[in-house]
Amino acid sequence: MSMLFKRNIPIVLVFVTALLFIMEYFVTIPGIDFKSAATTVNNWGIILTAFTLGFGAVNLFIFHGRHISRRTKGQWPFSLWMLIVIVLFTVVGVSTGATSGQYTWLYNSSYFALSATVYSSLGFYMTSGIYRALRAKNIESGLLLLVGIIALAKNAPAVAAGIPIIVPWEAWISAVPTTSAQRGIMIGAALGALALGIRTMIGRETGFLGKLTETEKGG
Amino acid sequence: MGKESKTIWDRLEDIPREVLYGILIVTFIMPMLFPIGFPVPITPEVQKWYDTIDKLPNGSVIMIDFGYSGGGEPELGPMAVAVYHQIFKRVGIKVVAMSTSNEGTLLFDKVIAELNPSQYGKQYGVDYIHIGYIAGTESAMAAVGKSIRATTTTDYKGTPLDQYPIMKGVNEAADFDLLICYTTGGDQSEGWVRQWYTTYKTPYLCCVLAMMVPTMLPYQKAGQIVSLVSGAQAGQMELLVKVPARGIKSADVITMTHLLCIALVVVGNVAYFGKKFSGGKK
Amino acid sequence: MFVTGRIFALGMLVAIWIFILGGMELAKRTLPTFRKLAGLDALPEMVGRAAETGRPVHFTTGLGELHTNMASQLIAGLSVLSYVSELCAKDGVRIIYTVYQSQVMPLATELMKAAYTSAGKPEEFDADDQVRYMSGEQFAYASAVQGLAERERPAANIMIGPFYAESMLFAETFYRIGSIQLAGTARGYQIPFFAVVCDYLLIAEEIYAAGAYLSKDPILSGSIRGQDVGKLLALVMMIVGIILTALGSSALINLLKM
Repeated sequence: MSMLFKRNIPIVLVFVTALLFIMEYFVTIPGIDFKSAATTVNNWGIILTAFTLGFGAVNLFIFHGRHISRRTKGQWPFSLWMLIVIVLFTVVGVSTGATSGQYTWLYNSSYFALSATVYSSLGFYMTSGIYRALRAKNIESGLLLLVGIIALAKNAPAVAAGIPIIVPWEAWISAVPTTSAQRGIMIGAALGALALGIRTMIGRETGFLGKLTETEKGG
Repeated sequence: MGKESKTIWDRLEDIPREVLYGILIVTFIMPMLFPIGFPVPITPEVQKWYDTIDKLPNGSVIMIDFGYSGGGEPELGPMAVAVYHQIFKRVGIKVVAMSTSNEGTLLFDKVIAELNPSQYGKQYGVDYIHIGYIAGTESAMAAVGKSIRATTTTDYKGTPLDQYPIMKGVNEAADFDLLICYTTGGDQSEGWVRQWYTTYKTPYLCCVLAMMVPTMLPYQKAGQIVSLVSGAQAGQMELLVKVPARGIKSADVITMTHLLCIALVVVGNVAYFGKKFSGGKK
Repeated sequence: MFVTGRIFALGMLVAIWIFILGGMELAKRTLPTFRKLAGLDALPEMVGRAAETGRPVHFTTGLGELHTNMASQLIAGLSVLSYVSELCAKDGVRIIYTVYQSQVMPLATELMKAAYTSAGKPEEFDADDQVRYMSGEQFAYASAVQGLAERERPAANIMIGPFYAESMLFAETFYRIGSIQLAGTARGYQIPFFAVVCDYLLIAEEIYAAGAYLSKDPILSGSIRGQDVGKLLALVMMIVGIILTALGSSALINLLKM
């Protein structure tokens, strides 16, 4: 009975759902509306996500509530502030609506500005990363260094205007080795996902089911 | 035991992060405050983007996806504004926007506020519209391609679509002459290739973050994307449409910061080899 | 019956499945060997280092969502989480899994609890502390993880799944605090950033093979062999395509469009 619920039923559900989406993409059978069924299942997934948001919120309150009650040094004021902001957004969003002027103002002046700032901080991290990583310690890293400098120079508009030869060099690097490597990665990743998919469908990939014994795995 | 003193090579090979970031901040700020006016050549891909829109006959309909998030606005926003300038300078081109990103409607408002469509005599609902955020990324693209009205019956303000003159005769992918996507996520940029280009052969212009360009190149080389540009090239677009704004201002900053990166890489390598040949510890 | 323009794709899908299923059957008789994946081999070393320093291990599956096409990468990451959790439980190391998508939380909690039980230490698992929902927004999540890195100072950082712009933020922050890092993603956009900063890297399909590689399960390993046959087929088709196109024939292109 335990194996029925722990392994067999989930695998059957996964198999049927995956088959539905595959059929919806490849096959049309008069009288069977795969598209609607697939859309319905997709919508179920979105609804489940909405419910689990509550689960995540509870986790946040428990975790940060602990820090507040213990007055964890260097942490508890931020935990308190975070919970206050969660409550504020929830109250404003629920009472005025997520498209209201008040909610939009709150969102724009806090999250919007902060996310652009955090995104911009990437520039700093990339600079320190480039400075540290582009060292010609061997042939491969020397090649990486050369390609990196050409790409940096081409993407600086004034440098590209001043040294026009780097434009066709960078174009060749992008069009030939980069594109072919990216295509190889795409094909490999797609095949990997296919293999994971078929393993999951037939119940051989059980990572998402939790730890199973060899017997439970069916091996 | 005494502390080993650092040689010049050690110091140059391991410049403290604080110093690096300090120099970078100055490099960002100075050209913004004191523009240098470096030349900005027009690259073939931006020219092709411009020409594709320019060659559209009057009466064409364009779909634009605001698929980027607030974090990507500084890079993609200027490009979106410049393209709207180009479209609005034309007569009779209709633009229907949608968002596959949940921040897209806010970003659309920001672009329109910066653009001021009334200067071209363009009206919301007549010449341009936004049909709202549609969840699901690729399923949203597929659904909109099949039927806009089956996917959403209102615009992003909640007004029924049929009340707007622009939506007359516009309902599915076949009604559009061009697709433009601005995105910070590969799911959107690749999704449109699969859902619109592959199915309906809609010509597709794609604008992504600079770091995404190499990964999107295979699609452009395969002819699935007409032109692939990065938001960092917005300055070039602004020059072409003759409306200099944030993009061209950033061009000086882009040049200076790239030069700084090159300089730091050179310094690091000089230090590495200097240390190696002077017999220092690796 | 079949959607026009997708018939060839369906044929390829079926063919690859046959290779994979065939590989699994063959593996029951002859166990395939893989080339070494240094990143996965280094996992015990990474956990050992955390045990020595008394610092935790941080694990993230990036911006993985179960209902999108990134779900496969998320599942691959969760397979590795299960393995790492058991290693951590055995060595008495605290593992912290930061969650982006709340729907993953029950799954991860169950996985980690089972891993601790398997290691004989179920009482040491504290779900509220070790499975932390940070945020469903990209940069709020990124900032939260960076904050965790600064406060908890993990000895090891493992990132396997779909990552977006926050990849560099994570990699640099954890590098700065001295964590040993393993990263793996099938999103081509972020591979270069991980390659430049992280100690170990899994590229694209290597993350999908991780579950098979770590469990040493012959059936799973056989599927990897089948996958490699699929790659060989793709290579052959590319070469045939190049030759045919050079000869002026569009036969293969027409076949692909079927």
